[in-house]
Amino acid sequence: MNSRRRQAVERGTGGPPLRDGDHTGGPAGGRSRETAGGLAVVAGDAIAPPPRPEPPPWSAPAPATTRAARRGDERAPLGFVPLAAVAVAFLTLPLVALLVRAPWGSLPGDLTAPGVLAALRLSLICSVGALGLSLLFGVPLAWLLARVPFRGRNLVRALVLLPMVLPPVVGGVALLLAFGRNGIAGQWLDSLAGVTLPFTTLGAMLAETFVAMPFLVITVEAGIRAMDRRYEDAAATLGAGRWRTFRLVTLPLIAPALAAGGALCWARALGEFGATITFAGNLPGSTQTMPLAVYLALQNNPDAAITLSLVMLAISLAVLVGLRSHWFPSR
Amino acid sequence: MSLEAAVGLRKGTLDLDVRLEVRSSGVVVLLGPNAAGKTTLLRALAGLVPLERGRVTLDDAVLEDTTAGVRTPTERRPIGVVFQDYLLFPHMTVLENVAFGLRARGTGRALARARALEMLERVGLSDRASAKPRALSGGQAQRVALARALATDPRLLLLDEPLSAMDAGARAELRRGLSRHLAAFPGTCLVITHDPIEAMTLGDQLVVLEAGRVVQAGTPEELSSRPRSRYVADLLGLNLYHGRADERSIVLTGGRRLIAADPVPASGEVFAVIPPRAVALHRVLPEGSPRNVWKGVVEDLDVVGNHVRAHVSGELPIIAEVTPGAVASMRLDDGGPVFVAVKAVEVEVYEA
Repeated sequence: MNSRRRQAVERGTGGPPLRDGDHTGGPAGGRSRETAGGLAVVAGDAIAPPPRPEPPPWSAPAPATTRAARRGDERAPLGFVPLAAVAVAFLTLPLVALLVRAPWGSLPGDLTAPGVLAALRLSLICSVGALGLSLLFGVPLAWLLARVPFRGRNLVRALVLLPMVLPPVVGGVALLLAFGRNGIAGQWLDSLAGVTLPFTTLGAMLAETFVAMPFLVITVEAGIRAMDRRYEDAAATLGAGRWRTFRLVTLPLIAPALAAGGALCWARALGEFGATITFAGNLPGSTQTMPLAVYLALQNNPDAAITLSLVMLAISLAVLVGLRSHWFPSR
Repeated sequence: MSLEAAVGLRKGTLDLDVRLEVRSSGVVVLLGPNAAGKTTLLRALAGLVPLERGRVTLDDAVLEDTTAGVRTPTERRPIGVVFQDYLLFPHMTVLENVAFGLRARGTGRALARARALEMLERVGLSDRASAKPRALSGGQAQRVALARALATDPRLLLLDEPLSAMDAGARAELRRGLSRHLAAFPGTCLVITHDPIEAMTLGDQLVVLEAGRVVQAGTPEELSSRPRSRYVADLLGLNLYHGRADERSIVLTGGRRLIAADPVPASGEVFAVIPPRAVALHRVLPEGSPRNVWKGVVEDLDVVGNHVRAHVSGELPIIAEVTPGAVASMRLDDGGPVFVAVKAVEVEVYEA
């Protein structure tokens, strides 16, 4: 009705426009209008035109007052600029120091040293493996946490996210008690399947997964909650079953959350130290990942430690840049 | 083609209890104010919300029956849906969107693409096949959504406010286009709208839904000549009164009488409708034939086309349609008293 009336008004008698707010109600059959008096309307006769209604907020450029007010909002509270500068300096200075003190001359030799390459390889294997395990088990978990209102959901979420705040060393000890040779699950793994986890590469991978998976779960769950579920409804009306809908509609729509969660998870796995060294030990070639190698090298060969650190810094930067262009295109 | 639905469910404050029977192909428009339950009803028919009680059958196939415990999941119902904001998958091209349903129902890739292109051609968008939905205009998106819903050959097509996302200027043309596409659809089509013009122009049958209940159903002509609810009367701009029949007059709920020329139904609850153009306004008590005269005050004036609608309060609130000249010569804007006169022949009475 509104549109018809609006058109009618436009076609109208050329009189002044209707009063402000007249566009809100339909012509109410037999119902009287609330507003008495002030009938500033119509007819060829001379009636003083009503005050020009304020333009809707989206139509005209913002009036000067608003712009001034906004500029005022952008003035930082006193002291914010120096405090922020300290934060930036604090966060970047160590990285700068790393670059300044790096033994650039001996870098090629240090990089290709057998120990370094082995640690690098192991770190990549373990962190990528941890990411894979997290995706495989974490995405379904995130979906269930986001979508299925089961009893104790909040408890499950809290338990699952606990490793995120737990000191990693504690995680390592707990892992030992669960999956160690005499652990509550480990003894069965050992005797029935002949699988030993502690002090193996698989163990290091599991330790990293334990610490890193919550980052994926929490990010992906938020992504699933935020997506417009009606796209899934649309897919269902088109004949897509649950799995097809998840694969072809849900997953692509949560891709940004998946990428962000995956990056967080992988980065956390790559840097894992405490749980790994506690649960998997520090065996060069099988459980000595980059962070462990860095820590060890720092004791007797600081230059090698710096080199290894530089490598990890480069990897982290590469991932950050790569994700930016690949997963978060500017739309 | 036949759809029979008895839908009972509650959602928040909405208590939906609707019986719907469509025995022919054609377009049925579901009209109602916001929060009347239109979208919920559509989602229930599509199987997106389970019924609490009721039964939905489409061409003798029982899609859902709560007493028998039958429930066909959405993906296996032969129903196409055009959602309110179309919900084209943003990560797929237009062609992939249209082919999605065919692929999901087992059509091979090549055949699905060919069929999707054919559908796009039918809605005049084959040149946009490789575009992403966000590059489309609102009207194009609507046509893609329609093509996508029709590609799977549904027997029932549901459209939720198909034109609401359009600006007023483009609506008329899009409405004609939509009307054409819907006419070509062999099955039953259920269109949700809150816009009476859309309802009147698209629908062969109208069903008016208010607060989860069907308050009136019929052809557009039936609705416009005999509205049965304040909502419908308001949409049509008619004066509607409710009361009890008493010989040749109607006793309204407030106690006032309206006199009608034709014999009114013997007794019981009746509606009386008075078109605004049949209402005359006078500054002095009119003499002569009008049988219904009462005093009132002009509260507000509206321009509709080349007429002015005067909202008159008083013993019996009413809308009168007068000419701009009358407004000027009678000074209807001064807030003084007027006499409202309605001839008995202009009062149409029918059973409630």
